[in-house]
Amino acid sequence: MVHFLIGVHAALGEIGAIGFLWILIELLNTKKRNINRLKTIALVATIFIFLSWTTGGVYYVNIYGSEVKPIIKEGPQPWAHAILMEVKEHVFLFLPFLALLAYSTIAKYEDKIFTSKLRTQLILLCLLIFILAFAIGAMGYLISSSARAALEAKIT
Amino acid sequence: MKNTNISAMSISTIATIVLIVIITVYSELNQSFKDFLKNLAGHHWITKGIISLIFFILVYFILKNKLKESNVNKYFQWVLISTILGFLVIFLFYAYEFFA
Repeated sequence: MVHFLIGVHAALGEIGAIGFLWILIELLNTKKRNINRLKTIALVATIFIFLSWTTGGVYYVNIYGSEVKPIIKEGPQPWAHAILMEVKEHVFLFLPFLALLAYSTIAKYEDKIFTSKLRTQLILLCLLIFILAFAIGAMGYLISSSARAALEAKIT
Repeated sequence: MKNTNISAMSISTIATIVLIVIITVYSELNQSFKDFLKNLAGHHWITKGIISLIFFILVYFILKNKLKESNVNKYFQWVLISTILGFLVIFLFYAYEFFA
């Protein structure tokens, strides 16, 4: 059975990612400026990324390594661990720092961010966080599918 | 947050990403280094996380008062470039390790 921490980790990460998509859209919409809303979303999204990091870490260290990893490695799709999981666990380490940078920039520049040259760079950073977070989510899905495929192969 | 130095934070982010990539690749090439990381905090991944967090904070506070808040645009571009390159290096490294 899928451990509940996978769901919590994925949900927190995806909500955080959607938060950065929201920031991106707010930054594109220069006519309607609501800096307080923008700061709140950025803070919440950053906290969710940090929480996703810690919940994912608890699952990875305590459950995945001993229960899931050996099954995937013996199954028909060992690349799911050897490539995807390794990439996922290490690239995830980038996200909290990128999120913190995005939040700090918004919190510091406030309204000026809409007219600053930095706006385009911030939009690109939010887009990158969103793409990375969803790519990591997709890798998680493929890793879970590989674990299921390995279990099915054991039964049949 | 008004006192945050975004230039220093950008460089700190870039340096942390580079460090994560180096530690990740080196720990796969050198088993004794991976064991050392594992022994520090119980799991190599936890140690990598703690090291990156401490390194990020350390670099930020070293640069905070030394670096003027200018060229932020340029530093942000390097944050984006280092993130994409970091992702590619890690992905290509593990793909090569698997298929080689």
